[in-house]
Amino acid sequence: MSKIMKIENLEKTYHLGKVKVEALRDISFEVNTGEFVSIMGPSGSGKSTLMHIIGCLDYPTGGKYFLSGQDVSKLNDNQLALFRNQKIGFVFQQFNLLPRATILRNVELPLTYSKTNSGNKKERAVEALEKVGLGDRLKHKPNEISGGEKQRVAVARALVNHPSIILADEPTGNLDSKTGQDIMKMIDRLYDEGNTIILVTHEAEIARYARRVIHLKDGLIDRDEVIA
Amino acid sequence: MILQSIKIALESLWANKIRSFLSMLGIIIGVGAVIAIVSVGTGSTQQVTSRIANLGSNMITVYPRTPKGQWGEVSSASSQDKFSLESTDYMEKFCPSVIKVIPVKQVSGRLISDDINVNATILGTNIDYAEVNNYEVGMGNFISENDHRERRQVMVLGSQLAEDLFEDDNPIGKKIKVNYEGQVYMFDVIGVMKEKGGSIGGNLDDQAYIPLSVAMDKLTNSDYVTSYIAQAASSEKASTAVNELENFMVKFLDDEDQEQFRIISQDEILDTVSSVTGTMSIMLGGIAAISLLVGGIGIMNIMLVSVTERTREIGVRKALGARNAHILFQFLMESLNLSSFGGILGIGFGWTAAYFLSQYGDWPMVIAPLSIGLAFGFALFIGIFFGLYPAMKAAKMNPVDALRYE
Repeated sequence: MSKIMKIENLEKTYHLGKVKVEALRDISFEVNTGEFVSIMGPSGSGKSTLMHIIGCLDYPTGGKYFLSGQDVSKLNDNQLALFRNQKIGFVFQQFNLLPRATILRNVELPLTYSKTNSGNKKERAVEALEKVGLGDRLKHKPNEISGGEKQRVAVARALVNHPSIILADEPTGNLDSKTGQDIMKMIDRLYDEGNTIILVTHEAEIARYARRVIHLKDGLIDRDEVIA
Repeated sequence: MILQSIKIALESLWANKIRSFLSMLGIIIGVGAVIAIVSVGTGSTQQVTSRIANLGSNMITVYPRTPKGQWGEVSSASSQDKFSLESTDYMEKFCPSVIKVIPVKQVSGRLISDDINVNATILGTNIDYAEVNNYEVGMGNFISENDHRERRQVMVLGSQLAEDLFEDDNPIGKKIKVNYEGQVYMFDVIGVMKEKGGSIGGNLDDQAYIPLSVAMDKLTNSDYVTSYIAQAASSEKASTAVNELENFMVKFLDDEDQEQFRIISQDEILDTVSSVTGTMSIMLGGIAAISLLVGGIGIMNIMLVSVTERTREIGVRKALGARNAHILFQFLMESLNLSSFGGILGIGFGWTAAYFLSQYGDWPMVIAPLSIGLAFGFALFIGIFFGLYPAMKAAKMNPVDALRYE
């Protein structure tokens, strides 16, 4: 199996005034194409920091991060933005939909920022929404749909640009357990369809949907466990 | 990308209609004020100019002046006793740009009808006076050549004076006694002028007109006139005519320093008027510009609020692949939209204001395309200028921090 991402001796150190905070220390792991990996840890373990770096939102202060063979730490702001657009599909805990835009517009958003021709923008957005079962709610605004539906819109938005990795950060954190399970089943189905999924969570139950769980503790990998 | 940014910006402005309108208000007022002020300035200047032109056709008046005393000497006698009647002919010959010179003898006397008496200015002049002043006869006739030659004691009244003396009666054919320096003269009223209003050297409606010969030979027994009214051949030649008259008077009075006479032309008055209105326009334009500036600060304020409010949105957009330039354009477009909408509304507002002001002031409504272009262009510039800082602030946001913002 081909490697989609590779992390080598990754470090992230924050300087809060005079205090030095080592959020990540010497993190190394690899993820293959089509894998479903959970990054799990209590709050303060560094999983959000790791998620930001994997999501190309932030730079590491040390070590290397290769995504699709490209050393991400060497990219500038604009190249990083393009990488986020092309390679990463985000699913956030807070959904993070634009409240004033319709669901269709929300899903179209990554396409408006990509350099590909926008001719079939709408088509692709509708296709992604149909995949999450919301093909009939295109003209609705986010405040007109339920939390579970919002997260499904977010999943559609993450899928629309056919990213290398779907990066889900506590995707069930704002949902009740039943809806959370539905969302997890949907993510599981995306895995079955061949998508690479990285799930960041502090809940062991949610983490167990993945086939591999990386336990993070105090900025270090505590355990890298494969679930059969 | 630009088109996309415009669309996004429009959506967000529409979502905050009242706030958008309020922040546009400064621009609306500023642009409207510029257009209205320029229109009022142009319109009123046109009105005043046409009124001045209406006073007479290319009139130039030459007055005597008393020079100032020097070295303890009492000032030399006024040049009044040098303004002879004959010099009018010389003037006409010497000054090719002057077509006509009318001598005027001005005295002040008491006019007495049956039981009313009025102090008034009496002008001794000739038949050309009415023509040069664009002054029309209402009833009867103006002074004729024969009246002048035969020294007939006839009088033409200004409209206000006729009303004062005879009220509603027809003054034609009535007798008027004139008390001038203790002597009483009888005059026949032969005409009443139409209403005219102010002119160079007083309100024509309050004056009485008699033949020049009567004023000089009978009333004052003087060889000198009070002033000359010269008519330039055309408005283009007016300034040449003034120069010629100046040269003539300098030689005629042997007055190198031009202390003994004074020349007032319509051009000069027009210059004064236009310089006054010009100053006013600059002043009011300055106020309008300040209003635009304040409007710009208002836009900056609202844009800063908007950027802070939408920090999370900026984070999401960046996470989904928006580059700094996308965000910069989005917010720049938003402030540009604010200022250009404000500018368009301001044009409408200024136009309306200019229309009503022109109705109120009774002058023609003139909207200069330049003032619209200038005001709108300035509004756009302000939108970009004051929008740049908030837009840069938005573009520079760190996506991680922006996404965490609550």
